[in-house]
Amino acid sequence: MMETIGTWLAVFLTLSMFSFLYKDNPFYKFAEHLFVGASMGYAIPYTYYNVFIPYTYNPIFLRHDYILIIPVIIGIGYWFRFSQKLSWISRYPIAFGMGIVGMGVPMSIHAQVLVQMRTMMLPLTSINLILIFIGSVSILLYFFFSKAHTGLYGKFTKIGIWFMMIGFGASFGYTVMARISLLIGRIQFLLSDWLGIIK
Amino acid sequence: MNFSDSIQKIDRRYIYIILAIVVILPLIFPLGLKTFTTPPVRNLYKTIDAAAGKPNKAVFMDFAQSPSTLPELYPMDIAILRHCFLRNIKVFTISYYPQGAAIIQMAIAEVKEEFPNIRQDVDYCNFGYKAWALRLPITLGMGDNISEAIETNGAGLRLDNLPIMKDIKNYDNIQICVEISGAAPGYIYITYARARFGVNVGIGVTAVSAADFYPYLQTGQLVGILGGLKGAAEYEELVETFAQNGLPYSAEYAENPTLKEEQYDLSKVPYKFKKARIGMDSQAIAHLLIILFIILGNIGYFLDRKNEKKKFIK
Repeated sequence: MMETIGTWLAVFLTLSMFSFLYKDNPFYKFAEHLFVGASMGYAIPYTYYNVFIPYTYNPIFLRHDYILIIPVIIGIGYWFRFSQKLSWISRYPIAFGMGIVGMGVPMSIHAQVLVQMRTMMLPLTSINLILIFIGSVSILLYFFFSKAHTGLYGKFTKIGIWFMMIGFGASFGYTVMARISLLIGRIQFLLSDWLGIIK
Repeated sequence: MNFSDSIQKIDRRYIYIILAIVVILPLIFPLGLKTFTTPPVRNLYKTIDAAAGKPNKAVFMDFAQSPSTLPELYPMDIAILRHCFLRNIKVFTISYYPQGAAIIQMAIAEVKEEFPNIRQDVDYCNFGYKAWALRLPITLGMGDNISEAIETNGAGLRLDNLPIMKDIKNYDNIQICVEISGAAPGYIYITYARARFGVNVGIGVTAVSAADFYPYLQTGQLVGILGGLKGAAEYEELVETFAQNGLPYSAEYAENPTLKEEQYDLSKVPYKFKKARIGMDSQAIAHLLIILFIILGNIGYFLDRKNEKKKFIK
């Protein structure tokens, strides 16, 4: 019974969302607001019981692990963002967070810069590697603005534009696929779970 | 209104209706278009498959998902879990999103219906939801000791006491970390688990962000990528062709859908295990339609430009 009610409710909300394709209307607005509210409503108690209780309340009050009070105080500091007078306190937890980001910089440079560069500099033994090499160099040169894009240099940077256009095209194609996939997912729900047409 | 104007000013609601029709009809009347598998998906499949039947190896799955990405990512979840259960591969699941934890439970429950002998905390273990702030310490801590880094499973039981952990200690026992995500999958595993501990990393990603991750594939930092519904469909196909039939992976069969057709009848596959493949018929037709609209729009644009030039000459 509950499953049937849930399915009908989901159908109503799905159709309410689709109604925006005709024009903005109260059904769409209701479904949109309900989605945002339900997401937050779900996350807050879930986080309370799965994060605050096991990682803060239990260790401090039941196991008397008082050292955890320090990170709790740092965390509470974030809440002072809402006070005009005391918002400076929130800079401490932010600084702490930035320190963690800083800790990741060497690893990030290795994983996202050095390894990428090393691969680009491999011996150009295949057509793929040659294309990657030409594409990388021509795009980097396109973004070197201290020299006018004229003559031979300009022609080479134009190759960079072509590479970028191909990249944007691939991204656009994938984006279209993503949007259509979402539509397919909802239609599958309507045809399968609700109407039982596809099995 | 002349022809060029009329094709450029079509009411968008007509386009939506046409699009809805081309998506709905192939779902009701399947066209049976073939699913071709691609190297990134095949590599991911092969890497996971290499852990088959090994008690000291496990697949680690991170569900960085929310309901809004379910149509693309959920078929991937199901296909990978099914692959692991079919091949007797241990699976660990985790989510740093509250909604992701519910998706894990839903996916495991759905796949388990076909596998009555699969036991929780013996064949698979759901670590459940962990706070986002713990992501970095857990990812790094797993390099030393998984039981210490994660401590408890989703039900609050200590990992030390679970049978599944008997032969599993750290990343040496993780065959691959697969993050299936609607945002920026794999970065934390590429940056920390891969760079520091040499773990294999694979990702499942919504099509919107798939193109961004190919450079990591080129460098070998990612073993494989499942990109959107197409990636999920390919993985489903490989699972159906090999794991479901108890066959070892064969490049010859994987690359040739004509040979695969003789192995199974798609109509007999349960709906939940072919969700992505069924959707690909609609996907293909919808893409053709969009290409057609793009061509029409361009024809209109060039006709307009030609007319304007003529007016200017007069």
